[in-house]
Amino acid sequence: MQHADSASGDRADVVPVRDAPRPAPAETAPRDDLEKLKDILFGDERGTLEALDGRVDTVERSQRDLATRLPGAIERAQEGAGAERMANALAKPVTHALGAAVRENRQVIIDVLFPVIGPAIRKAIAEALRTLVADVNGAIESSFTPRGLKWRVEAWRSGVPYAQIVLKHTLTYRIDHVFLIERDSGLVLDRESAPDLPDLDADAIAGMLTAIGEFVRDSVGGEGSTLDSARVGEHLLWVVQGPRANLACFIHGVPPARLRALLEQKLEAIHARLAEAGDIDEDARRALQPDVIAREARTAEPAPRSSRWPVRLLLLAILVLLGWLIVRDQQQTAWLDAIRAKLAAHPGFVLNAIDAKGHDAVTVHGLLDPDAEPVDAALRDALGAAKLTLDTTGYVSSDDAIVARRARRLLDAPPGVTIEAGGGVLALRGRAPAAWVDAARQRATWVPGVRDVKFAVAAETDAAAAARAELETLSASIAARRIAFVRETEPVADATSVLDALVADAQRATSLAVTAGVAIDWIATGTNDDPGSDTTNARVRASRAHWLADALGARGIAGVRTAGDDDTEALGTRQRAAFLRLVATPVPK
Amino acid sequence: MTAVAHKLCMLGDFGVGKTSLVARFVHSTFSDRYLTTIGVKVDTKEVALPGRPACKLVLWDIAGRSHLDALNMTYLRGATALLLVADGTRERSLHAALNLLMQSRTLLPDAAVVLAVNKLDLVEHWEVAPSALAELRRTLPVHETSARSGEGVEAAFADIAMRLVA
Repeated sequence: MQHADSASGDRADVVPVRDAPRPAPAETAPRDDLEKLKDILFGDERGTLEALDGRVDTVERSQRDLATRLPGAIERAQEGAGAERMANALAKPVTHALGAAVRENRQVIIDVLFPVIGPAIRKAIAEALRTLVADVNGAIESSFTPRGLKWRVEAWRSGVPYAQIVLKHTLTYRIDHVFLIERDSGLVLDRESAPDLPDLDADAIAGMLTAIGEFVRDSVGGEGSTLDSARVGEHLLWVVQGPRANLACFIHGVPPARLRALLEQKLEAIHARLAEAGDIDEDARRALQPDVIAREARTAEPAPRSSRWPVRLLLLAILVLLGWLIVRDQQQTAWLDAIRAKLAAHPGFVLNAIDAKGHDAVTVHGLLDPDAEPVDAALRDALGAAKLTLDTTGYVSSDDAIVARRARRLLDAPPGVTIEAGGGVLALRGRAPAAWVDAARQRATWVPGVRDVKFAVAAETDAAAAARAELETLSASIAARRIAFVRETEPVADATSVLDALVADAQRATSLAVTAGVAIDWIATGTNDDPGSDTTNARVRASRAHWLADALGARGIAGVRTAGDDDTEALGTRQRAAFLRLVATPVPK
Repeated sequence: MTAVAHKLCMLGDFGVGKTSLVARFVHSTFSDRYLTTIGVKVDTKEVALPGRPACKLVLWDIAGRSHLDALNMTYLRGATALLLVADGTRERSLHAALNLLMQSRTLLPDAAVVLAVNKLDLVEHWEVAPSALAELRRTLPVHETSARSGEGVEAAFADIAMRLVA
């Protein structure tokens, strides 16, 4: 190049001389002289100069034509063996030129490459996503398989979307190497690698890994801190620490968390079988093979961890709570059913609804006939300790029992008249004063709920009515005469006089019975005061009733029976005593 | 049959030629930059011994220091052999090597030890007197080595390997 430059400089002086027009003939002589002088002075140098001038001219022409000839020359250079030589020759200048272009014209390069890089990146991403989508689709399609259901449960339990759970399980990974490394020395106790991987210096790698672990712990960690994992790009290193040996696992991709738990289990098992000299048996070696580990990680359930106990306890508590709620609901239902049954069997009441607050309070909504028995008394046993609120509306019941009771109330029937109702038919029997019979015969059909009346009440004479009236008076007088006791069946001092009066009344009643048209039953009843157990008091009541019956029998009043244990009048009296009751029953004529 | 591996730590003052000895002895897997970063570099070399099972030396080349700090002591753990390296042209490096031996003995009382006095190619500039080496040979196996020429290097490592499999 230097030579060409100097030639080019000379050319500037020479070319005008060479291209100058020839002089006119008049001037030829001096010119010729000059030429001769030049020949004398320069001689050979002048020839050399002209030759150089010709070469420069040739070079200049070839350079001028280079732009047109260069593409063809490059094409010819690509033919045959020249292609590689051409490529080698251009490699460095093209690299340097590209580097310079990137440094100086970054935006131009970006603009040029943009249409190329975009599709390339998209293609790579699309390729990766295609595999991923295939995995996810497969998992979603099999979402009702046992595995899919298990993932759904996992998603429900962890609160993570199902798709993410599928993603987590379908991300692929590969275990490249597994090293079992002696903790102190960093020497390799065992090394298992996936097939088709290039050989590596396991001892050197294990040693460096141990040294780096010590360095990290010494530099940034503390006592107890360890290097557990390291990641470079898609390559992941997991180190599982043990008291005598560490397990280093070189992984490509994204492994599931349960793989680490599996490695921890394996290291624990190896420690249990690790010989003093650090040797491990064949089974342990097999267990560390990458394909075995990957297979177990795929199939093994996640290792049970103590952190799941709270979840299990919570589930157990929920199950117990659910069980308790179900049992309580059943008990509540049974309880309410019992109340409904009682109410359904209660004459004169129609149940509309029951509101219950647990076992503590019940509100009964319904219709209640004024002649019905009180509802709360009927429900006392079924309710237990629950508070009852009645929300009732009055109505006229057509129940037979209520119709009979209503008729007795409205007709003011005397004791000698029995009233029964059935299917809307009111039946009256017995004997009654003539005035009552006349009135009742007319009024009986007016009783609500009665569509027909069978009237069979005989009119009494005045003597019978008088006898019946006296009997009623005597009945009250007899019941009021109480034989008091000091203790057990030991009567008080004036018991004899009371007994004598009682006998007199009884004899008078017996004499009136025939006239009144009634049969008389005598019932001796014993009572007690507050102290004493139920059993003792029942026995005392029975003893006193028998004492009275015996005493009356001894005085000529025969056929006196004793009241039973559940006699309401006996139970309702708080007194150490015995008394007699008169029960008159009309005798049909 | 797989050769039994032994951990060998190389100790010596800065610049005595430990790394050069290792480089002469093995083909390194890792870069020497680890020496200036974490202070150690690990290489391996399988040594064939006549009439003995093969022995694999795992060489822990610990960065040159005249004393051992806590981190260096952790690097020594589990070692069964020590190769002390001194520079024959610097007598002080010999004292440093012996000082390192005394320090390491607290952790490795039973480790096999060999002393390599390096830079034999500069023997005319040695400060370590032959009499001193003769005195040392009474208590330690001593090898004169040259990492530059390779003289004595294989012998030093073979000696220590022999002591490990003995």
